[in-house]
Amino acid sequence: MNVQFKKGVLELCVLVVLCRRDYYGYELVHTISENIDIAEGTIYPLLRRLTKEEYFTTYLRESEEGPSRKYYQITEKGQTYKEDLLLEWTHFVSSVNNLIQKEEVA
Amino acid sequence: MNKEQFLNQLKRSLSGVPETEKKDILYDYEEHFRSGMENGQKEEEIARSLGNPRVLGKSYHIESLLDESRGGRRAANVLRALFASLSLGFFNVIITVPVFAGLLAGLIGLWAGAVSLAVTGVAVILAVILQPLLPALITLGGLSIPFLIFASIGISALGLLSLIGMWKLSQWFFKIAGKYVQFNLRIIKKQEARA
Repeated sequence: MNVQFKKGVLELCVLVVLCRRDYYGYELVHTISENIDIAEGTIYPLLRRLTKEEYFTTYLRESEEGPSRKYYQITEKGQTYKEDLLLEWTHFVSSVNNLIQKEEVA
Repeated sequence: MNKEQFLNQLKRSLSGVPETEKKDILYDYEEHFRSGMENGQKEEEIARSLGNPRVLGKSYHIESLLDESRGGRRAANVLRALFASLSLGFFNVIITVPVFAGLLAGLIGLWAGAVSLAVTGVAVILAVILQPLLPALITLGGLSIPFLIFASIGISALGLLSLIGMWKLSQWFFKIAGKYVQFNLRIIKKQEARA
C-alpha cells in the first residue's frame, strides 16, 4: 500500500488503540506494526504531534524491569477527534467500496 | 546499524531543533531500544524496523518549524521557516523570493530613511550648540538660530514618528511573512497527505 496513505490512516489507528487503555511507546508501536507494515519510527513523530495538539497526555511510570516508561493517555479532546476521524474513515471506505462494486457490475 | 549509530544519525538530522525538544525526541527512541532489548530483540533488528533516522529527523523538523512560526514572531524564526518552506517549491523560488527580497529591501530603505531623519534632527541641534565652540568646523549656513532650533525639533519629531511607524510596519511585515509560511507548510502537508 502507498506510504503516504498509510501515514494518514496511522493517526486513526493510534487514536483507536489508545482508546482501549494507556500504552507506552514500544508497546503501542508493536501493537500497530503487528497489523500494519510501516517503518516503526514514524509513529513517534505522530505521537509527539498529537500530544502537542492535546489529544494525548503523557506520564512516566516505573516498569518491573527497572527504568521508567513514558505512557500515553488519550484526552477527552482526543476521544472527540477519534470519533470524528472514525466517522470520516467509515464514510470514505464505504464510498470506495460502493464505487468498486459499481465498476465491477458495469 | 546499531543503537548508537541510529541515535547519532537522528541527532545529526535534528540540528536546528531546539535543544530541549531534541532531548525529548531522542529519549523516545532510547526508550524504544531499551524496551525492545528487554523483549529479546537485537539492536540492529530494532534499528531496521524503526526505519531511516534521517527521514524521521526531517519529519520532526517540519513540525518544529511550523510551531515556531506559529508561536514566536521573532524575525529570525520567521526567516528560517520562510527559507525552509521556500526550498520546498519551485513556484516559491521564482516568484516569492524576488517579491520577498524586494519588499525586504524596501523595508530596509524606509528604515534607513527614518533613522537619517532622526539623526539629522539631533545633528542640527548639536550643530547649533557646538558652533560657538568650534567655529572652524561648523557653519550654520547663514540660517538664524531660532529657525534651526525649531527645524531640529520638527525634524527630530518627524524622525521619531517614522521610527515608531517603521517598527509597526516591520512587525506587520514579519507577521504576514509568518502567515505565508504557515500557509505554505499546510499546502505541503496536504500534498503529502494526498500523494
